[in-house]
Amino acid sequence: MAVEQPTQPTLGDLIYDKLFHNYVWRSIFRTGYPNTPRNQMLVVATNVFLHLHPTRIHRTHVKITHTYCLGGLTFFMFLGLTVTGILLMFYYVPSVDRAYLDIQNIQTNVQFGQLMRNMHRWMAHAMVILVFLHMLRVFYTGAYKPPREFNWVVGVVLLVLTFLLSFTGYLLPWDQLAFWAITVGTNIAGSAPVLGPKTRFWLLGGFEVGPDALIRFYTLHVIGLPLLAAIFMAVHFWRIRRDGGLARPL
Amino acid sequence: MATVVVARPAARPTPRARDEEVLVWPDLVFVEFISAMLFTVLLFLLSYLMNAPLLDEANANVTNDPAKAPWYLLNLQELLLHMNAALAGIVVPTVWLIILIVFPYFDRSTDGQGRWFADVNSVKNTVVSLNVGLWGTLALIIWNSGKAALWAKDWFGFSGGSTLAFLERSAALKDPSVVPWPGWADSIPYLWFNLKILDEGPGAGVTTFQKIDLPTLLVDIGIPTGFMVGFSCLLIFFFWKINWVHTRRDALITLMSGFVGVFLMLTVIGTAFRGPGQDLIWPWDLRTLEGIPGQE
Repeated sequence: MAVEQPTQPTLGDLIYDKLFHNYVWRSIFRTGYPNTPRNQMLVVATNVFLHLHPTRIHRTHVKITHTYCLGGLTFFMFLGLTVTGILLMFYYVPSVDRAYLDIQNIQTNVQFGQLMRNMHRWMAHAMVILVFLHMLRVFYTGAYKPPREFNWVVGVVLLVLTFLLSFTGYLLPWDQLAFWAITVGTNIAGSAPVLGPKTRFWLLGGFEVGPDALIRFYTLHVIGLPLLAAIFMAVHFWRIRRDGGLARPL
Repeated sequence: MATVVVARPAARPTPRARDEEVLVWPDLVFVEFISAMLFTVLLFLLSYLMNAPLLDEANANVTNDPAKAPWYLLNLQELLLHMNAALAGIVVPTVWLIILIVFPYFDRSTDGQGRWFADVNSVKNTVVSLNVGLWGTLALIIWNSGKAALWAKDWFGFSGGSTLAFLERSAALKDPSVVPWPGWADSIPYLWFNLKILDEGPGAGVTTFQKIDLPTLLVDIGIPTGFMVGFSCLLIFFFWKINWVHTRRDALITLMSGFVGVFLMLTVIGTAFRGPGQDLIWPWDLRTLEGIPGQE
């Protein structure tokens, strides 16, 4: 009876072995390549980025038509906006004298500057649309129902934060579009009875859109609101897991 | 024999059906990766094809006409044209956000979760409410813009004169020649002293609370509030009558779908159909719309 004999390892196997089974690599990635169910679960459970997920998930939830990935894509937009935003921050100074020139400079003199600015702009619009659609998905699939009530509330807060993030960014190019949009927008806030004018003054740091408004919007846009959003996102994602993952029929 | 009563939770978590589950790696991670890549490619493509707008440098002395808020606030800006500013800009969005937050505490049943349109009639309910929101809003905008009266005159030679001026816009109802308001109606005292709150800078003036301007209150706050609250209640009541709304969930579906319709129509009109002086115009006559190539 023929017994299967061990074969000589090929060159590819040897290289693979040297690359991925060495001391350094294993210190970074504890699990092997996720080609067995055990490793696939381990990689999700032990990787900091993947561990937001459970290791297993109901089969209906991976169907694209169940969520359309809207929540995940909103988060992805947030990440993309952070990356492009940081790149834009290298060149942009939020002063009335420089802001507009810096934007022109980004568009004309910076390598891929126009592309970065475009990406930042369109991603911001996409994020607003996606977060709204995500809310509709959650509503029409009844996913706000118990025990996910509070996560719905966190979601509403994140919706408002997304609008505010976009709104504060709108002023930064310091062109006519930005100036008048923020004038109109803050006038809306200023129309509140009793507290309106105070709110408007507090938002703008003055009675009209000027240097103080620019620095306020900039600070809120690049650090204040993203931090707040990140905190609420952490709670939002954590609660998805704590509340038993995505909603499904009981 | 004594019986020990053990408290049990009313609803037990259903046992996990392992054979119904798939592994997150690769099944879910794959879907997430593909959708992220798809969006990255699409956004790169969009950014390649279309530049972000950049107009002239900001100048407080040159007013943009039309001056528009960012597009997602244009629904509020559109509302501002039809009612009291505080009502449109502050009260309506705040109340709506509170209603949104209250949703899960109002509808506490766990039925039908995790499936699209799980409830009976929910698709019909959604589609009809959405359309009522969309076209109802459009009709109200056209009416209050005076276009309806203009068309009636142009097409049928119909002119109501001042008596039918309210057909032109609701604000006409404040005019004593249209509605015979008694002389005292616009200053009805309700405080015996003049209460002044927050004198806020140039133009803001003092907020005083002593007299009520009844025609203004009625036309700028009463009528719009009546429309917003009344129509919502009427729609839910009607659906309840025809057996489309049975549960709180059904009522919420009507409310939410109607809202989406109104929100979309207001945003679209505010973005694409409002020109200089906030007049209704066709989108192709609009000059400064964000994102149109050649505008930057």
